[in-house]
Amino acid sequence: MGKLGYESPENYSNRELSWVLFNKRVLSEARDKNNPLFERLKFLSITASNLDEFFMVRVASLKDMVNAKYTKPDIAGMTPTEQLSALNEVTHELVNKQYMVYNRSLIPQLEANGLRVIARHEDLTEKEAAYVDEYYEENVYPVLTPMAVDSSRPFPLIRNKTLNIGALVKKKDGDGELEFATVQVPSVLSRVVQIHTKNPLNPEEKAVILLEEVIERNIHKLFMNYDIVCAHPFRIMRNADLTIEEDEAEDLLKEIEKQLKKRQWGQAIRLEVEEGIDKRLLKILVEDLHVRQEDIYRIDGPLDLTFLMKMYGLPGFDHLKEKAYAGPQPVPELPEGCDIFEQIRKQDLLLFHPYETFRPVVDFIRQAAVDPDVLAIKQTLYRVSGNSPIIAALAQAAENGKQVSVLVELKARFDEENNIVWAKKLEKAGCHVIYGLVGLKTHSKITLVVRREEDGIRRYVHLGTGNYNDATAKLYTDVGLLTCAPYIGEDATAVFNMLSGYSEPLSWNKLSLAPLWLKDRFLALIGREKENALAGKEGHIIAKINSLCDKDVIEALYEAGAAGVKIELIIRGICCLKTGLPGIGDNITVRSIVGNFLEHSRIFYFENGGRPEYYCASADWMPRNLERRVEIMFPVERPELQKKLMTILNMQLRDTVKAHILTPEGKYEKVDRRGKGYFNSQLEFCNMALEAARQQELLVNNRIFIPEMHHEE
Amino acid sequence: MSVKTFAAIDVGSYELAMKIFEVSKVRGMREIDHIRHSIDMGTETYTKGKLSHERVDELCRVLREFADIMKSYQAADYVAYGTSAIRECENRSILLNQIELRTGIRIHVLSNSEQRFLDYKSIAFQGEGFLKTIENGTAILDIGGGSIQISLFDNDTLVSTQNMKLGVLRIQESLNQLGVSLRHYDRLVEEMLESQMNVYKKLYLKDRQIKSIIIVDDYLSNLVKHKMVNGELSGYVDKKRMEYFLEICHTKTLTELAKALDTPEENMPHLYIALQLVKSIMDDMGADQLWVPGVTLCDGIAYEYAEKNKIITSAHDFEKDIIACAQNISKRYRGSKKRSETLEKIALTIFDSMKKVHGLGKRERLLLQLSTILHDCGKYISMVNLGECSYSIIMATEIIGLSHMEREIVANVVKYNHMEFDYYGEKGSLSTLDEDAYLKIAKLTAILRLANGLDRTHKQKFRNIKIALKDETLMITVDTEADITLEKGLFGARARFFQEVYNIKPVIRKKRVL
Repeated sequence: MGKLGYESPENYSNRELSWVLFNKRVLSEARDKNNPLFERLKFLSITASNLDEFFMVRVASLKDMVNAKYTKPDIAGMTPTEQLSALNEVTHELVNKQYMVYNRSLIPQLEANGLRVIARHEDLTEKEAAYVDEYYEENVYPVLTPMAVDSSRPFPLIRNKTLNIGALVKKKDGDGELEFATVQVPSVLSRVVQIHTKNPLNPEEKAVILLEEVIERNIHKLFMNYDIVCAHPFRIMRNADLTIEEDEAEDLLKEIEKQLKKRQWGQAIRLEVEEGIDKRLLKILVEDLHVRQEDIYRIDGPLDLTFLMKMYGLPGFDHLKEKAYAGPQPVPELPEGCDIFEQIRKQDLLLFHPYETFRPVVDFIRQAAVDPDVLAIKQTLYRVSGNSPIIAALAQAAENGKQVSVLVELKARFDEENNIVWAKKLEKAGCHVIYGLVGLKTHSKITLVVRREEDGIRRYVHLGTGNYNDATAKLYTDVGLLTCAPYIGEDATAVFNMLSGYSEPLSWNKLSLAPLWLKDRFLALIGREKENALAGKEGHIIAKINSLCDKDVIEALYEAGAAGVKIELIIRGICCLKTGLPGIGDNITVRSIVGNFLEHSRIFYFENGGRPEYYCASADWMPRNLERRVEIMFPVERPELQKKLMTILNMQLRDTVKAHILTPEGKYEKVDRRGKGYFNSQLEFCNMALEAARQQELLVNNRIFIPEMHHEE
Repeated sequence: MSVKTFAAIDVGSYELAMKIFEVSKVRGMREIDHIRHSIDMGTETYTKGKLSHERVDELCRVLREFADIMKSYQAADYVAYGTSAIRECENRSILLNQIELRTGIRIHVLSNSEQRFLDYKSIAFQGEGFLKTIENGTAILDIGGGSIQISLFDNDTLVSTQNMKLGVLRIQESLNQLGVSLRHYDRLVEEMLESQMNVYKKLYLKDRQIKSIIIVDDYLSNLVKHKMVNGELSGYVDKKRMEYFLEICHTKTLTELAKALDTPEENMPHLYIALQLVKSIMDDMGADQLWVPGVTLCDGIAYEYAEKNKIITSAHDFEKDIIACAQNISKRYRGSKKRSETLEKIALTIFDSMKKVHGLGKRERLLLQLSTILHDCGKYISMVNLGECSYSIIMATEIIGLSHMEREIVANVVKYNHMEFDYYGEKGSLSTLDEDAYLKIAKLTAILRLANGLDRTHKQKFRNIKIALKDETLMITVDTEADITLEKGLFGARARFFQEVYNIKPVIRKKRVL
């Protein structure tokens, strides 16, 4: 057959462009009329915050490369300059689409549903204007810091991601020379200002105006001796990709604190301005902020759509929000108040969040903290929620004299500040805190509880695909395994020994770790399917991940696909693999599910010649996961749990509502629903969890009749 | 709770390792944790004789962490052993004291033979597999960085153990100096081994049939356990598989190999040398099976601890090994087996009847027994300087399972059996020992001399004796028809030293046979 030759760049997609496609899929949820109106606001807001992060990290990094004259082409053969110019086109298009959705669908819909968004302060009624002005005097004015620029005052620092109003002003008794002035729209105040005056024509109607409009309306009050020539909001995005020189940093913690302060000083890589901005004002901004023409985004509507998340929170619109999805359900095997250790001893348990509650994971650590038989608790923390009950439990455990070791990953992007606070708090409580590993991000999610029992030491382990964050566990789909199998316990101990700086164990029983072994393990597992297919056996891989952009893995998949392995990929985000390549055809399919919950779990199925193997992992098939992070893949071996995983995979493959299929042309299209019916996998998972919890309840209270009722939260 | 947690610490030349075990009568031993920290102490000690401050700091830091980990497991006890890097430190006592003060961990230094014995014990405790393997001719090959140790079994007893300066790191150093590429390693390793193996075969192996080789090392164990046997954890490899594996090593590049074996590339030359060593020794001995139980020194430490504390018992008799070893040495130097046996019987009878007086234990009894077996080995060299020669032979020969101090005791007891006793503090060789060892030597020498006196004519007249302690007299009743005039006559001088040591007067009585 010869060399298959799948390594050539035209067989791969650029990851940044693929990411933009992902954000478009999110945007399509905002456009989808089947979604409740306020959910659509949320989706639009998500596309905006996604895009912000994308600029700060990815675009910034490409700009760095261009600045450094780095010309090495990417997986798809594009140089950084080529990527930037391609991105420039699609991001402008994406932004235009965002505002099309905002202006043409959402605003009219909101108005029709009794929420008037006053776009321009000029549109305020007299009564409303009076209310707004009073609001300005009392709440806004005290926190404003106007800054004017003249020969004696330099151009002020415009902070990253902040919304500002730039103005051209003219001295009232001056020579008519225009001066530049700017004021930051304070982030301490809500962007959405609700106007509490009743519309006599429609007393039920609610009206809101954005904070920058309130300021604009009153801006003359800030520059008393000046005439305001024009005033327009603007916003810049700066390069935020902090590369910390770990080998040089004496103390990682201090270094990150320093870098955080530096972040706002980065190079400006995007300037957003109102569409009708005064040309003279724009010129000043562009010159003083050193912005290139192609990095200017003229916005037809309010800048920074993330305020829509605030709007989502406005009271009184619950009927316009998603209610079909039930909240997290109790896990049948882990009723509230049960002894979690006892339940784990009975059998391995697989939790499926957010359909099943995250509570057992928190309780696992809480119970360990107060259990007199527990000797030690060890955990890796990547992103924790504010006020995390897990942190509190860990601190309590340390105070109770348990040995508590926590690896707090300080390098979690945009979360450093948060993490430093937790880390210090834990240290104070007496925990042994490791601040990450030099050169590696610790992305694995593992907790080990060492317990001294009658018959000796027993280790309880939780392994997950999602962070130990009780807040995101309600929004992200993840799976987690609770087990006390000795071979996993031994491996878990070895993991923490390694994280503490000791040598790797002589051997691993069940776990595969990145960056040392995981990639080879994946390649071997894929390779085995290929061999089986070549030997005439059935080859089948199902992988559910968030991103696929590792070239070696993709090449292995191509080769397996060409050998006849059926490969079904469920990839929420970036996918650099192309479908429909010659020699592979539809052996490889890719679908993406973007729905109410953020798909986050990583599940892998390998046919293995009729003896299927199931794995879950904290890693995606990305070079950064496989090569620069500590990640863990764990097998799921109990047949019932394998069945549970297979159900998850199968239902996602059946999804006809929230699934997009990647076409050979590189486009994502919604599933053709003809003949397949309506199947929303996330909704079905909710119903399944609901049913399981109900069955359990019936079992427990089997003496009480439970009438069939419509279930709500 | 009958489950105890125990920590075993191995302060090795290139690595600090700690294993946490759970030991219980019911469930035996269970490894809970294995923590390793790479630290190269060997290079400094071997080249400069001392450890640098930085190294000592690092050592103490890790040991303190080990102490914390022990605490977190609520370990009831620990044993820490140091091997050659500590052993060969010039300022060993200062270093050990410093470490103890800084970390609270007291490190004991193991002699080579003690270390090998622990390795051996850990294998023996593998149970079934071990007992089955040694039914046929077996050799243990203990591969270290500086040397290799070959121990031979004959009829399920360990009979000899020999150290050869052919450790993996040493060989690699030589090969590096020669500047040869990996391609030629196999031939050169074989040649380096050959000369020594030829001697070994002639002197020690002789016509023994070796069927299996048990491997203890840090190089192959992991590989064999997890790669060569396709995941079966038994650790058995036959010759065919070994050859197949070597073949792979020859055909793949280092990088490919390292990747295939999940081993860092820099370890590959070591692995390669170790493989070649095993292959050559296998060929030399004609063995066709390997057993790699994958044990470490920490396992040995734990087994020793569990055995001492009567938590577990082994089906294998280790004392028998030590005795067999000594007997083998005696045989090599043409010692008289018959005379040894008589001497052994008399000496042990005296020892047993004097338990209350000498206050010595089971271990000292073994030392006495070894002394009787080796009492005349020096004769092979000189019949005049018997004492000195015996001393030198014993000190130069490894007796597996004995510590350096114990070997010193045996050698001295044998020496002073023939020579004037040197008192402690006088200008004699004994002053280098501690007082405790000195007293043991004196006590055992007194018994051996007495026993020797009773068999002066070497005719084993005193084969049937009864010994009883009555007040200040040791009654030795002989059941013989032979004439014992000579013994009685020469007895006085020997009895005097005995009396000096124990303040008990030995008296010979001949039981009249009617």
